[in-house]
Formats: sequence, structure tokens, C-alpha cells
Amino acid sequence: MDEFKMVVILLVEDDVADQKLIKRSLSSNKVANELQIVSSGEQAIAYLKRSKDGEPNSPMPDLILLDLNMPGMGGKEFLNYIKADNELGTIPVVILTTSDSDRDVLETFKLQASGYIKKPVSLKDFQEAMQNLSEYWFVICKRVCHGNKNERRTHKCFVGR
Amino acid sequence: MDTSKSVVVLLVEDDPGDQKLIRNALGHQKIKNRLYIVGSGEEAIGYLERSKTGDTESPRPDLILLDLNMPGMGGKEFLRHIKADNDLCAIPVVVVTTSDSESDVQESYKLHAAGYVQKSPSPQELQRLVEKLAKYWFATSLLVKN
Repeated sequence: MDEFKMVVILLVEDDVADQKLIKRSLSSNKVANELQIVSSGEQAIAYLKRSKDGEPNSPMPDLILLDLNMPGMGGKEFLNYIKADNELGTIPVVILTTSDSDRDVLETFKLQASGYIKKPVSLKDFQEAMQNLSEYWFVICKRVCHGNKNERRTHKCFVGR
Repeated sequence: MDTSKSVVVLLVEDDPGDQKLIRNALGHQKIKNRLYIVGSGEEAIGYLERSKTGDTESPRPDLILLDLNMPGMGGKEFLRHIKADNDLCAIPVVVVTTSDSESDVQESYKLHAAGYVQKSPSPQELQRLVEKLAKYWFATSLLVKN
């Protein structure tokens, strides 16, 4: 019988109101998830370094939700960085941003984003988008297991019903 | 509402039975989509090269569904090829295959697959998988405008 490991989502988003809205949208999701939030590309890189080192408070994410418009290291620069990493490059990154410009969509898919969601406005639409996202990534898709080094038991990634 | 615009899907799959199952499943989706089927990696490359020239019979796909186990050029080799193409690399490729081996999953994601779905022999189950796949790619995610 497969052990169930709660999925970990890393949200890279600088806007505090959007952080709250996304957290609310995911809290009612049918797929139980742990949301980790960082507010910049730089913080995201630091978080992922800690994950690699097996720090228990920074579990390796199963999925990254990435805003594009952030001060300092923007979303595209972060995406480029992570996709060049041998281990981190296999984590799916889904863009979640206000822009729906053709150029932003094209550039992020070229950088191997695994989806591009324009931020919905209402909570209900947001919840629906997050539900579709989690059913795709956590129920029907197989994913690479990134076991945390400090865990003594071996976990299987959650295998969809 | 622009009803002429529908999502173009390219299925790269050699098994005729699976071709039929996936065609049926996609045909049932509420969101309009046009499915093109090729039976090998080589044929897929030919199709994509034609799509670059604006060939109306080979429209550029918005999404590629890719089997791994095909004779000749396998799925991984095809994936590697398309991701090395500066133009075609922007098309999301979802692996849809029988294998659930960890190494196949890992290698596919290393080659930048945008998802990995294990096929089911049950048509109802496959229908369900395709429905969730379609909901994500056709109704939730934006796609590159061609």
C-alpha cells in the first residue's frame, strides 16, 4: 500500500494580498497540501538550497507556483536558474501571474514552465483553477520523488487514485 | 466567442488501439480540440517540420502527447530533439505511456516533459485521465498563441 506524503507547494510571490488569496484557495483543495511561501526569486533559491541540504523546515517542493513580476530577480530569471539545476530542474514550475501577454507566455514556455495561469480575480475562480492544477499534477501525473535526506523511512510519492 | 479556434493536439503513439482510445477520450471533451496522430518519433518530427512552413494539413500543435515505447526513435529521443529546437521547445509535451518506472519518470522530467501520465487499459479510466489533462491544459493554463 502506498504511503501518503502530503504534497508540498512552494509559492514564489511578493504581493501579500495575493499570498493570502492563494493560501485560501489551496486550503480547501481536495488534495491535502503544505504551502511554503517566499517573496522573491532570491528567497526561493535560498529555500531550495536548504531543501537540498535536508533541512526539515524547508521540505523539497513537489510543485512551484511562480509569479513573474517581482523586484530584484524576476520570475523568468528564477525559472532559468532552476531549470539549469540537475536536481531542481525536474520540479514542475507553473507560472501564476497577472500578465497574460503573449510574450510572457511564450518566453516562460521556452524556459520550460509547465503551465501558465493568469491569476483569477474571484476566490471561487481561484479555487477552481487550483483544483484543476492539483488534480493534474498530484492525482493523474507521476512525479519525481524528491525524498528529504533526514527522513528515515522511504516514502513513495503519492500515487494518484 | 471565436468558435473556429480550437486547441490542436499532436498524439505521438504507435499502438492503434491506444490511438483509438485517446481519440475517443479527447473527442468527448467539452473544449473543442483537433487531434492529429502520428505513429512514430520520426513521423512526429516530419509533422512538426511541415508545421513550421505553415502547412494547413499539419497545424502547429498547442500540446503534444507522447508515448515512450515506440520502435525506431523512442519517445525520449524525440523529446530531446524537440526541446533542442529553439522554436518547437515552447510546445508542452506530456508523456502518456504504459511504464511507471521511476527512471522513465525521472528521465522524462529531466528532458522537460510537462507531465507524465500512465495509460490505463480501462477506457473509462483513460477517459478520466484525459478529462483532467484537458481541464488543466485547455481550460486552466494559457497556451502559446500560434
